[in-house]
Amino acid sequence: MTSLLPLSGIRVVERASGVAASQAGRLMRLMGAEVIMTEPPAGSPLRREPPLLPGGGSALFTFLSVGKRSVICEPPDDASFDALLEGADILIDDTPRAERAALGMEPERIARNYPDLVFLSVLPFGAFGPKADWKAEELNLIHAGGEGYLLPNGLSADLYPDRPPLKIAGHFAQMQGGVAAALAGLSALWTNRGQFVDASVQDANVAVGAFAVQRFGDGSVEHRSTRSFKFGGVIECRDGYVELLTLETRQWQGLLELMGADDWASDPELSDEVGRSARGKEINAFIRNWAKDWLVEDLVAAAQEKGVPMARYNEPRHILTGKHELARAIFHEVETESGPVKVQSLPFRFEPDSLPVGASVAAPGADQSLIAGRTANRATA
Amino acid sequence: MKPLAGIRVADFTVHAAGPFCTHMLSQLGAEVIKIETALRPDIFRKSHAVYGRQGPATFDQVSSNKLSVRLNLKHPDGVALARKLVSISDVAAESFRAGVMGRLGLGYDDLRAVRNDIIMVSVSSSGQSGPDSHFAGYAPLFGAWGGLGHLSGHPDGPPVEMRHVMDHSVGMNAALATVAALHNRRRTGQGCHVDVSAREVASSLVGDALTAASAGIEVERAGNADLRRAPCGLYPTSQPDRWLSIAVSSDDEWRTLATIIGRPELGRDRRYATEMQRHANRRDLDPAIESWSVGQSGDAACERLQKAGVAAHLSWAASDIVTDPHLRARGAILDVTETDGTVRAAVGTPARFSTYDSPGITSGTPELGGDEDYVYGDLLGLDRRKIAGLIEDRAIY
Repeated sequence: MTSLLPLSGIRVVERASGVAASQAGRLMRLMGAEVIMTEPPAGSPLRREPPLLPGGGSALFTFLSVGKRSVICEPPDDASFDALLEGADILIDDTPRAERAALGMEPERIARNYPDLVFLSVLPFGAFGPKADWKAEELNLIHAGGEGYLLPNGLSADLYPDRPPLKIAGHFAQMQGGVAAALAGLSALWTNRGQFVDASVQDANVAVGAFAVQRFGDGSVEHRSTRSFKFGGVIECRDGYVELLTLETRQWQGLLELMGADDWASDPELSDEVGRSARGKEINAFIRNWAKDWLVEDLVAAAQEKGVPMARYNEPRHILTGKHELARAIFHEVETESGPVKVQSLPFRFEPDSLPVGASVAAPGADQSLIAGRTANRATA
Repeated sequence: MKPLAGIRVADFTVHAAGPFCTHMLSQLGAEVIKIETALRPDIFRKSHAVYGRQGPATFDQVSSNKLSVRLNLKHPDGVALARKLVSISDVAAESFRAGVMGRLGLGYDDLRAVRNDIIMVSVSSSGQSGPDSHFAGYAPLFGAWGGLGHLSGHPDGPPVEMRHVMDHSVGMNAALATVAALHNRRRTGQGCHVDVSAREVASSLVGDALTAASAGIEVERAGNADLRRAPCGLYPTSQPDRWLSIAVSSDDEWRTLATIIGRPELGRDRRYATEMQRHANRRDLDPAIESWSVGQSGDAACERLQKAGVAAHLSWAASDIVTDPHLRARGAILDVTETDGTVRAAVGTPARFSTYDSPGITSGTPELGGDEDYVYGDLLGLDRRKIAGLIEDRAIY
């Protein structure tokens, strides 16, 4: 197990009712920070957010919160919240802007009382700007960031041209918001200056959607019906789907060898990517017809041998038991009321071993003694 | 002063994911020196075919702010110079296939030999270890390997290909890991080798679904449906291809929405009184919302819903994003002036800081090798004759 936890010694107080703020806390926790969730008496609403485990606990909350500590405390009536902030380096908060003052959570008060603290605000549209008070859920956010409009593409768009746009699975937009917020929060902490950091889930999604912004600057507006490589993509096989993408001529040549399409190898029109794309429909019809009788595993192996970039569309079971994933030990066992479950570590590591995720999820208020201790310390100080 | 001012990055990354990592670091204030060679320029610098059209991709966006030097890593003097550059850098970032840097003489041990506390950041498709670590990959393959592709899509349709957001998510994660490694260095005095795996980024984005699956719960493609919220979907407006997303997450919001769409009786209907009931009967509700939305101007309907406290947003194209006053006010979208005077919209820092308010991007795309006088002369202290000799010898090329 890795001993390099880059955020060791950093203390974070997290007030999160949404995925983005909780994800920011999760990233810091798994990198070694002590993260203390402060929950309302009924527990964080994320504890009830699906998907649920067989025992009723939330798989989402398990994923986001394993290894964090939990105290029940409600500002502004509870002085213990302030006591927690005294020892904290970062406060993560997703309280809607309009509700902050009533809770004593307004940035001015926090800055005055805790001048060394990084107050990391994580809101759907940020804490500044004409839309700072707008509400948004995952579906709204993926469309506010621009990627929603551009999906689906390829085979799905071909099959269902008249359906509305389609989101990415799960909480993609909010997860991006959490990563960008954590990056901003840790960058602020790097300066050794307490400050207010205003992270926005929309901003994060606009950032990762930079391609469409640059394309616009270059004179074109991307659209889901055309935003696709003209051949390859999602290809159906006998027992599942593969992804095929050839960007370089040598990969194209490997594909032709694989398919035995010798006549195309000598076709001058197909010697570059633009020429091939112009005949994409014809090429794809051929590929789809050729691939449909293959078994996914055989086809991927044959493609790899020819240097053709291809991947199986992995289902969860493939990932949970994949040879590569097992070799890298990316999943860790966590004890829950439903028995042991697997939780993925962070997608990056600082040593050859993956980062530990923690043994269990704290019950609401499991670490209430943290407050008692802190309040007492303050009283005696 | 920007938060990462004073941090220097030797940037060996190419394509999309790695350069986006160093781009984020650059927007946060790091000095990023992009290392390229005319022998094989970053294919994203050249005009190349994307989606069947010849044209630039994201090079301008992710190269903004960066400095550029030429360096031939196939030449022993080029490798020596690369090591020298690393010796005065805090971070060395790369995105070749696992093992390539080592074969060039620029592996982690080589770099540590010239700078003991170097933070090396390696971004690759499948990580630095494991049986698939030699795989090359692109965004759609990361999404396929990681399960994000399988789980995205219509319930009755195929998986969905991931695009550049996948690459850039990897870059954002890599930037985060880099800053964490800097904190570690400050505390311990030690550098480290950060291993970022793109397929693991993809699977981490559906980490909750994988946890559920590990407990025997069946997780499948769900289209636009939410597992809890209803109504939740995209509704047509009076303008073609102008979709309005609405997601209701409380009983109050539901009653408000029912009133706005002119169907207050639905808000009182016991069949839809609770979240669970609305979710179970969600297919009955969508037609009522659609028959209202299809007669509405998208922007006005969205404003009205937000004003009443219902979560809504239009499905925005790039043309909406680059002109949005909110994103402009935040600096999330800004204008960049290129050296030829062209002004283009670009993406800025994805957060605001109370300690500074300067734009994330202050200079456009660097010319290939445009900063060699500064980097090789001022930073590395090579005199003009020495630089000219390296150029003549094609070590700087």
